[in-house]
Amino acid sequence: MSKFNTISKVINLGPLILLYYLSVSEIDSHFENYFEILSFNIQLIIIYFWVSKRPEALGNGHVFFAGLINDVVIGFPLGLSSLSYLAVSFVATYVKNMTVNTRITTDWFTFFIAIFFSNVIFFVLLTNFSETTVSITEMSYNTFFTLLFFPFFWFIFTYYNSIITTGKNA
Amino acid sequence: MSSSRDDFGIAFRSALLQRGAAQKFSLVFLIILASIIFFLDVYGFGFMKPVRSIVNDGIYRVSLLASSPSRFIPKATESVTNLLNIKSENEKLKKALEVYRQKELSVEYLTNQNKNLRKILESDETLFQFQSNTILSKVLIDKSSPYLKSIIINRGSKSGILKGMPVLDKEYLVGRVVETNYLSSRVLLLNDLNSRIPVTFGEDGVQAILKGSGGSKPVLEYLPEGYVVEEGIEVFTSGKDRIFLPGSPIGITTEKGQVKLFSESSQLSFVKVDLAKQNKEVF
Repeated sequence: MSKFNTISKVINLGPLILLYYLSVSEIDSHFENYFEILSFNIQLIIIYFWVSKRPEALGNGHVFFAGLINDVVIGFPLGLSSLSYLAVSFVATYVKNMTVNTRITTDWFTFFIAIFFSNVIFFVLLTNFSETTVSITEMSYNTFFTLLFFPFFWFIFTYYNSIITTGKNA
Repeated sequence: MSSSRDDFGIAFRSALLQRGAAQKFSLVFLIILASIIFFLDVYGFGFMKPVRSIVNDGIYRVSLLASSPSRFIPKATESVTNLLNIKSENEKLKKALEVYRQKELSVEYLTNQNKNLRKILESDETLFQFQSNTILSKVLIDKSSPYLKSIIINRGSKSGILKGMPVLDKEYLVGRVVETNYLSSRVLLLNDLNSRIPVTFGEDGVQAILKGSGGSKPVLEYLPEGYVVEEGIEVFTSGKDRIFLPGSPIGITTEKGQVKLFSESSQLSFVKVDLAKQNKEVF
């Protein structure tokens, strides 16, 4: 029984581990060797999905720290990714408060609003307060592909969420 | 109508201020905290530099450790594939060995070999002389971001590295140091959007600025009026900025006015930092 509980706890921590691992590791989602403009931000999808579906799996404090780690690894000013991630978290929480039952289409649309706000905050802060320049075209491609790949991750995470739910009911 | 507005307000406030068993901090608190950290870091308050340096060194080490499976898996897969192919390869090698045994070494072959060895010996001497001013560094992290093109190396201010120092792959320029910590440094690569390098090329010694494009090939800017870039001309650092030594090879021109770099930035494992330029650069 205790072994089952341990496994269940580890499974529950899955989204959190994945978020931290993607932020700290060298693994990236920029596939310039295959297709130069192909890049997407899995962290935003993870945050949006899990904050809106199972907030107990992904606390805001962890979202904040994952952002700080990401800033150090990538080389952005500290706090920039945190603000960007927290914007996504805010939209996800708001949507969760306002809706009872969501489908993939509604999630997809609200995710677009979330990443739009997130990227606006990111771009405005970076261009106005930092000497670092980023290409708005690259950002647009990144936003587009993040949005495009959202349904794929939505199905994977929904399946994973059902495993967690089943584990809790067992 | 008013009920709808109330719902909006309640949901909005709840999203910002709500705390629960899993949410130990409210969103508004974390947003304010992140903003404070951001502005402290951007405006470079004195106490932030050592704090950031320690945080950077710590996280880079953790990042290196966390990335080890992603480096190990391709190597392990390669080893298994090699093991599977070893039998057929062994047979092929035996046949090749027989062929080589039957062949007699000609005088011409020996002469060529001798020439090649002399070349290697000469280049080694050059390399040795060159290395006396450089420090070899291992690339710790080369996380490819769609926005920033940079790498982290395992040498920092402890090894005498300063901001602005040129970084080379073999003899080719790959970028410059933009951030130094005690045990690590960040190198801005030539293809980053924020990179600007004064360069010279061609028989006439045309001066230009090599600007990172964010893609794989940086572009030449501030060329003489009406100048058309020809394909296949080698581009070197001009040293006009007094940061880079003049004459470091960078790449070769393409007909679109871009430069194909000699060094592939995604394939860097070890780089050399040129310590000859010890002038501190203020960014």
